[in-house]
Amino acid sequence: MSSGCPMLEVKGLAKRFAPRSGQGLPPWVLADLSFHVAEEEFLTLVGPSGAGKSTLLNIIAQVDGVNQGEIYFRGKLIETANGAALKPGWNCQIGYVTQDDNLLPWRTLYENVTLPLKLQGRFDAAGKERVNELLRATNLMGFERYYPHEMSGGMRKRAALIRTLAYDPPIILMDEPFGAVDAQTRTQLQQDLLRLWYRGGKTIVFVTHDIGEAIALGDRVLVLSKSPAKVIAAHKVDIKRPRDLGNVYRLDGFGEMFEAVRRDIQ
Amino acid sequence: MSIAVSRPLLGPAATRSLVPLGRIAVGAAGIVLWQIASNAMGSEWLPGPAAVLARIWQLTVSGELVRDTLVTLWEAVAGMVLGGATGAALPFILRLSPRLMTALEPLISAGFGLPKLALAPLFILWFGIGITTKVVFVASIVFFLMFYNGLAGILSVDPRLIAMLRVAGASEWAISREVVWNTAKPFLFSGLKIALPRALSGAVVGEFIAADSGLGWYIQNERSLNDVTGVVAGAVIVTVLVMAVNAVLQRIQARSLSWRAVAKDMAL
Repeated sequence: MSSGCPMLEVKGLAKRFAPRSGQGLPPWVLADLSFHVAEEEFLTLVGPSGAGKSTLLNIIAQVDGVNQGEIYFRGKLIETANGAALKPGWNCQIGYVTQDDNLLPWRTLYENVTLPLKLQGRFDAAGKERVNELLRATNLMGFERYYPHEMSGGMRKRAALIRTLAYDPPIILMDEPFGAVDAQTRTQLQQDLLRLWYRGGKTIVFVTHDIGEAIALGDRVLVLSKSPAKVIAAHKVDIKRPRDLGNVYRLDGFGEMFEAVRRDIQ
Repeated sequence: MSIAVSRPLLGPAATRSLVPLGRIAVGAAGIVLWQIASNAMGSEWLPGPAAVLARIWQLTVSGELVRDTLVTLWEAVAGMVLGGATGAALPFILRLSPRLMTALEPLISAGFGLPKLALAPLFILWFGIGITTKVVFVASIVFFLMFYNGLAGILSVDPRLIAMLRVAGASEWAISREVVWNTAKPFLFSGLKIALPRALSGAVVGEFIAADSGLGWYIQNERSLNDVTGVVAGAVIVTVLVMAVNAVLQRIQARSLSWRAVAKDMAL
């Protein structure tokens, strides 16, 4: 961005969990982890399972604290290891789509999707229209009264996604949001996500262990090392958009990039 | 389709209508067995269904049935409000302070183990033989049942749902109301399902010990008069009362927990 100030900047993060009583200090999960995300960038982070990817997102979302390092949001220091109280979601500026859909089982699809708006006191005409538009865009119209247990895995993932999009945080963290669905549904969900992102105004930090997904979605792919995690490589994805995710493997440059990322992960 | 599917003889609608029929059949069999037992033992030891029914009718006409039922019901309900409500509310308060919870839990556990019947003489000493004693007695029983069910509900709250709501801008109060309350609700209903019958039987037992009205007092009074028919009639009335209370509770539960993925036939 021309301002020179990244949307989000993570500097020298280090994290270890508190020791259990009677045991020594647990190992570091993150060590000296740094990266930045530009405004409206789609950044993907790829790394082996158990590398601490979820921990990283929990820290950025301020669900969890950090031992060392700083996080800046549009140039403003928002988190550091100074013991100050965490502010999950940083005043609804940082959205978080977790691995599990975490829909409330006692609420219908519509109630789940509109809940953040209601909690923030923003469930007005504009909010309603936005929710309806998102429901239409993700083919969930007509299922508003379904409870989560009545919905398919793909529907639940879509509901979790638009629940966060509905309240319009400028940056959204995503933790393998399309993990436990079949390949076809997954491609559909990725396509939905990109279509919503093309509308603009959203910065996305997307974590996955799937190299193909990281390349297919991202503007930039960062490779994380095994635990303790740090960024060991960065790849700019030059595949032009819009991308046909159904045939992403045939796109120009995909194969080479896949190989390069795979080598880094070793 | 070439695969042979073994189908039940009756469709789902027919199967469902079999349930009440089955209930009636089992109930009728019980009454027949009761009559046989009564014949074998002699009606001075176990009066037959007809005699008991006649007695219940007589009590209904005289107004005693309504009066004593209302007394017992009132004691049970007041005990539920006094003990059950506080027992159910306490875990929600203790949730805010894990340290207080750790400190109090063994004490509450000790209180649970204490046989309440052994305290009855103390209750009589403090509260006399009026309704208050029975209310306190019932409260001392149901408090623990509601507390432990409420606690189980609080402990089964999914921390991921709480984290999700916090990120989405929920206040602590909104989290309590939305996640904690809705998670605990099925547990509180399970608690009520155990505590309500216990409240009624607690009131009856309390009346055995000291009372001048109520169903327990009636049963005890008939026993002292050696009127076995009255004793059995009293027991039958208490049983019917418990069944009625359960039926009401089930209606409320079905409405309030309709979101759950429970098979309709399994909903108890």
